[in-house]
Amino acid sequence: MAPKLPPHHPLEQSTSAVAGGQASAHHSPPRGIMRWLLTTNHKEIGSLYLIFSLVMFFIGGIFALVVRAELFQPGLQLVQPEFFNQMTTMHGLIMVFGAVMPAFTGLANWMIPLQVGAPDMALPRLNNFSFWLLPVAFALLLSTMLMPGGGPNFGWTFYAPLSTTYAPPSTTFFILSLHIAGISSILGAINIVATILNMRAPGMRLMDMPLFVWTWLITAFLLIAVMPVLAGVITMMLMDINFGTSFFNAAGGGDPVLFQHLFWFFGHPEVYIMILPAFGIVSAIIPTFARKRLFGYASMVYATASIAVLSFLVWAHHMFVVGLPLVAELFFMYTTMLIAVPTGVKVFNWITTLFRGSITFEPPMLFALAFVVLFTIGGFSGLMLAIAPADFQYHDTYFVVAHFHYVLVPGAVFAIMAGVYYWLPKWTGHYPNVKLSQWHFWLSVIGVNLTFFPMHFSGLAGMPRRIPDYALQFADFNLVSSLGALLFGASQLVFVAVVILCVRGGEKAPAKAWEGAEDLEWSVPSPAPLHTFDTPPNFRPHEH
Amino acid sequence: MRKSLVWMTGCLGFALMVPLAMANAWNMPVGVTDVSREIHSLHMIIFWICVVIGVVVFGVMFYSLFRFRRSQGAKASNFHENTTVEVIWTAVPLLILVGMAIPATATLKKMYDASDAELDIMITGQQWRWRYEYLGEDVAFNSNMSTPRAQIQGDEPRGEHYLLEVDEPLVLPVNRKVRFLMTADDVIHSWWVPDLAVKQDTIPGFINENWVRINEPGIYRGQCTELCGMDHGFMPIVVEALEEEEFDAWLAERKEAAEQEAMGVDREWELEELMERGEAVYGSICASCHQAEGQGAPPAFPALADNQQLIDDLDWHLDKILNGVSGSAMPAFRGTLNPVEIAAVTTWTRNAWGNDTGDAVQPAEIAERLSD
Amino acid sequence: MWGVIKSVLAAFFGVQRERQRQEDFENGSPVAFIIVGVVLAVVLVVVVALVAVQASR
Repeated sequence: MAPKLPPHHPLEQSTSAVAGGQASAHHSPPRGIMRWLLTTNHKEIGSLYLIFSLVMFFIGGIFALVVRAELFQPGLQLVQPEFFNQMTTMHGLIMVFGAVMPAFTGLANWMIPLQVGAPDMALPRLNNFSFWLLPVAFALLLSTMLMPGGGPNFGWTFYAPLSTTYAPPSTTFFILSLHIAGISSILGAINIVATILNMRAPGMRLMDMPLFVWTWLITAFLLIAVMPVLAGVITMMLMDINFGTSFFNAAGGGDPVLFQHLFWFFGHPEVYIMILPAFGIVSAIIPTFARKRLFGYASMVYATASIAVLSFLVWAHHMFVVGLPLVAELFFMYTTMLIAVPTGVKVFNWITTLFRGSITFEPPMLFALAFVVLFTIGGFSGLMLAIAPADFQYHDTYFVVAHFHYVLVPGAVFAIMAGVYYWLPKWTGHYPNVKLSQWHFWLSVIGVNLTFFPMHFSGLAGMPRRIPDYALQFADFNLVSSLGALLFGASQLVFVAVVILCVRGGEKAPAKAWEGAEDLEWSVPSPAPLHTFDTPPNFRPHEH
Repeated sequence: MRKSLVWMTGCLGFALMVPLAMANAWNMPVGVTDVSREIHSLHMIIFWICVVIGVVVFGVMFYSLFRFRRSQGAKASNFHENTTVEVIWTAVPLLILVGMAIPATATLKKMYDASDAELDIMITGQQWRWRYEYLGEDVAFNSNMSTPRAQIQGDEPRGEHYLLEVDEPLVLPVNRKVRFLMTADDVIHSWWVPDLAVKQDTIPGFINENWVRINEPGIYRGQCTELCGMDHGFMPIVVEALEEEEFDAWLAERKEAAEQEAMGVDREWELEELMERGEAVYGSICASCHQAEGQGAPPAFPALADNQQLIDDLDWHLDKILNGVSGSAMPAFRGTLNPVEIAAVTTWTRNAWGNDTGDAVQPAEIAERLSD
Repeated sequence: MWGVIKSVLAAFFGVQRERQRQEDFENGSPVAFIIVGVVLAVVLVVVVALVAVQASR
């Protein structure tokens, strides 16, 4: 993130200038802000994505800390319920659409061309456009909080009719901002698919691709499939609010449950959009630091694909208590249980890769190992939630909050951090400071568990989610959660320090920064020059 | 070495949490119905399955991390892909899941069988209260949170049942199958009482069904579990389960009170009488949006105090109360309040906070409008 | 054809012999695999739905 700008190699520029005078004009980029506004370079756009997502991570984090501060003890101390609801909603929206998704897209931008041996993304100008849509979308989203009646306050799932008939006037702007963010995601996904399918180095077959590329290819297809559904459902909301339709308004003959079906048909694949690339990152890191091939490369690819297919068949498990017919409950219970099988295959593969390896614990490995353990804990609670009768007790309680934060924070976010630590030497030419990274890791692990583990208990004991105040028996759990959240939030400042220090200096990294690393990105110098693979690399398929 | 020690302490910490999780306040309540017991045992089975799998999987993982450290001279071997192992670790979870699905299916079928109920109760969610109607018995009432705002703001010490207490609990008999028909007037709410293992969304335009047969008398508390706006956190549920004879006596008493109230429609009411009743109705129904002093919370909730249109136009005022304002949070109260209550609350809002119109709206007048 | 179905089923189950996988990926066009994959995905949905209908009786 924020790498010192890689030096332009005058030599490379002059070689391409041979091709014609126009090319050299093309290659002298504008300076200052215009350079970043107009850049079409995948590395620069990747950095922009990552910096943007880090900023959003802190904004969303501050919102979460407001929530945790209010819940520190029973009673209303700091904020009123209206504002509390805006905080929970904005926290969710910003973390999902502003922090996690752009972080993965940023990693994809940086690494996919390097990993498949392509000179850049397939559609560089589109790439610039899809990034710059994001600041627009989120500036608009954040600005709704200053509008009369406040910003969105109906939860990140924005169930109608709370988000239509009963919504604050700013909801139309919220819809517009989601549309813009959605367009950005679709364009980014199209670009990734085009790059992976068309620009692989000669000789690299699909089954030779690194798993990060594979998981992103599948994720990109998921994005292309479901983002239009989200666009459709928010357009229906827009019509209900502004043009007098009644898609979701029962008084006009509409159907509030239809909203949930449409939302979760987008929303469940969205969950996998946020975790599949994480699987890819972890599948790169564990073999590197165990110095041993991934146990089952093909199974990993197959498991990713089958998770993606199943993710379209399980959406109504978010709706077990809306009064679905019995057959539907059973169908979605069975499919949801099935999805545990490929997920288990992945975990077993990582662990078997560790078995009889030669293991070291560099910072990326620490985060990847914590990912395996804590994501699996999130998987266990997911399995419990799949049991429909028991879900009648778990649904919409803190048990669910604990579950999805375990898969998203020590799941997706830890994988992103593992990826950042893993590839920082490639981006900046320096290793991240080991001592500070270890501090960051241990503080984060302790913080994340203190925050989210007690939520299992408060949920089982009966605490509903999204409430600004709670009964006295939940006080101890909430106190621990709030302290943990503060610790976790504060320890991310260490992360920023590590990244800044690493950009500015540190131990020099060679091209192959990690002894056990195999993929193509380690064949270019560290830091990676602005233009790599101008001529396709010589790809030798090493056996997976 | 130090690192693995930390890892092991971490594991031990998690292991210690397991017995703690067995303690009552940390776990799902067993509850007081057959269904809630079945759900609890499903929960415990799947929990222990997860614990066993977790111990095995994490055991192998931490053993590997400890045993195959390069710092201890571990050399990487190069094995990969083993069809037998892979078939086993795909098939075994599949079998466990099938084993779980069978009892889960049986319990779910039981939960969906609401036939042969002896008592039907309509539960309606409204921002932010519950309404209970004993169908065919002419007994209906609203149930509001009774925790004073002063406790929430911290000006008074908090009581034992802080946020989980209501002015009128739902009273149910034990040992009788009670069917719930559930809907909502405005947004989606969700009616949950953990001890009864009933959680069901109440959705405008839909009627959902659920049922309960309570085994033990007692007081059971729960909350709204679907985000429903500002006061979502202040919408508790209290169920009082009575022995059958006690319940019958209670129901008879409530029926008589309802008849008395119905008779009240025909007589002339004094202004003070209406004001007294109206203040109570306002406090339990209107104040959550329009606020205690009628100042409202614009733009969502308009002020009633000093509202010139309200003061000038009684017809307009009554129309809003009876029919609601479509496209806003204001529901139609024609179905949920009786004529006496509507007359009283109209009178109160026309005379309180300096509105001083002097109007005394009569219940008979309301009853006439309702019959139109 | 049977070979394609077997390979797709193996992919659904998530386990495949390396030798068989190599063979699958040598064999020209992926279209046959995609068609069989889609068909079998539909079959999976129908089977789970039938089981659910049967179980709800």
